[in-house]
Amino acid sequence: MDSWIYEVECVNMVYKKGKIKANEDISFLIQRGEILGVLGPNGAGKSTLIKQLVGHLKPTEGQVLYNGLDVYKQTRVVASEVSYYAQEPHALSALTAMEALVFTGQLRGMQKKPAEREARELLERFEMTELGNKSLKRLSGGQKRMVGIGTALIGHSPVLILDEPTNELDPAKRRLVWDLIQEHNRNGATIILVTHNVLEAEHVVDRVAVINHGKLLAIDSVAKLKQRVDQRLKFEIQTAFGQREEVEKELAEWGILQRSGENRICLLVDKAQAGNVLDRIISRRDLKIEEYAVLPPSLEDVYFHIDQAAKEVMGA
Amino acid sequence: MSTFMNPIGLQPRRKRGRWERWWTEISILFRIQFAIVRDSWAWVILMATLYPLTTLLFMRFYTVNPSDEMVVQIIAGNLVFGIIVMGMNGLGQEIALQKHQDHFTFYASLPISKNNFVIANMLRGLMNTLPSFLILGLLGQWLYGVQLHYSPGLPVVILLSLTSVVGIGILLGFWSPTFQFTNMLCQALMMIISFLSPVMVSIDQLPVPLQWISYVLPTTYAADAMRSILTVGWSMGVMLDCAVMLVFSIISLIVVNRLVSWRVNK
Repeated sequence: MDSWIYEVECVNMVYKKGKIKANEDISFLIQRGEILGVLGPNGAGKSTLIKQLVGHLKPTEGQVLYNGLDVYKQTRVVASEVSYYAQEPHALSALTAMEALVFTGQLRGMQKKPAEREARELLERFEMTELGNKSLKRLSGGQKRMVGIGTALIGHSPVLILDEPTNELDPAKRRLVWDLIQEHNRNGATIILVTHNVLEAEHVVDRVAVINHGKLLAIDSVAKLKQRVDQRLKFEIQTAFGQREEVEKELAEWGILQRSGENRICLLVDKAQAGNVLDRIISRRDLKIEEYAVLPPSLEDVYFHIDQAAKEVMGA
Repeated sequence: MSTFMNPIGLQPRRKRGRWERWWTEISILFRIQFAIVRDSWAWVILMATLYPLTTLLFMRFYTVNPSDEMVVQIIAGNLVFGIIVMGMNGLGQEIALQKHQDHFTFYASLPISKNNFVIANMLRGLMNTLPSFLILGLLGQWLYGVQLHYSPGLPVVILLSLTSVVGIGILLGFWSPTFQFTNMLCQALMMIISFLSPVMVSIDQLPVPLQWISYVLPTTYAADAMRSILTVGWSMGVMLDCAVMLVFSIISLIVVNRLVSWRVNK
């Protein structure tokens, strides 16, 4: 069996008679059994790419192969093996949570009894057993999302494609969703997930594809992508109220600044400069820095670094 | 019965035969559609009955000593009007709303046939329309004091009237470029088809261009069949009307299936 489950070849997607390019020359392979994270800002072209992977959107040029089959010619095969979660299950909102899960399982090819058993197990995992007979309309936004995720998980498809699975969930439910994703992956499922939650995804994904302006900027393992910024360290700094701009002015020359809150900044600096920055923070007591930490760069920093580098290239 | 293991080996999925798969899909998709009706049945009946009932009452006040033939024409016309209101206007808008709220994404990502999804929607159209149909028939008979002819062929005429008109609603909903446009189109078509084609009046009362247009509308045959069967019972004319309505129903299913692509948007 080929180790690649998906082959994306020179995919281009153009809207409005060539005026808008949603994808530009995207090519990559997805390995069987991996968790691939697709990262990028809003409007980067992530959802377009995902819709192309599930065969809901045909690219203007290029092709997408699933197990060697053209996804646009074998839509039923793709639909029977690839579970796609895009949003709350609006289409099922007149059903109860239990009905939504069981019916989806049956439509995916399960028998009624196993579908019911698995639906009960999922509701138990979601701590929603007592809500099983409640209409989806009467559930909270987060509870509806959990049922939506359940509809993607039920039936144990070999491929799961999840678009923003942890959006609008509380921290406990987010953790649960990440655990479920990892469990499915351990059982052999290939998982492709689009997320903005870079920090949480870092601990789950095997490889990361960074997309912006419809282009694939990078695709590699988390470790290899981190090597790109390996020669750097990250300073997380909390300033006193109203002092952020002054601190930014003082430290901007040493590296790449990112604003992470009203009084919080991150500074990515070369390891060789870290001593100078530390020295400046300590010596300039008038800067009113309340707290600081020196950390190795995270996947989020890698993402910003790659995006920044791409912008510089495009600007040039 | 053969089984195959899901490639990740967790839940065995039984490989279904063609007919079993068809039945499972249809019954579950129907239950999902039924749940939507179950959720709002009172509104459905109210909406389906309100317009034709108002017209029925208006015509009762307006006409003085109508002949039996005219009374049957009024009742049959309003029965078909009820089908147009819910089967074409209501269902067309409802499916368009589902389309633009991305409901199709959920269904398209499951291994189900589009035909079965369309049939399930058609069945919902029948469920939406049938109660008002019965209410209007009984009320019309009581209001005008006529005895309608209940032929054993009446259910066939009712079923084909519903499927041929509901087919147009489904086609409009699936095709819908935007919800607002479909909304306006459905409303306009509802009024044009109901009042400028031989639904309320007989075909020879219309100007010639409208008569030509009427021949391509299933409502023309639905109203004609309804009038005939309620007056004289099953006849050759009713049979011909039924044949034409069957063709309309099949054509609308084929057109939806061929023209509307729900998985691959090019």
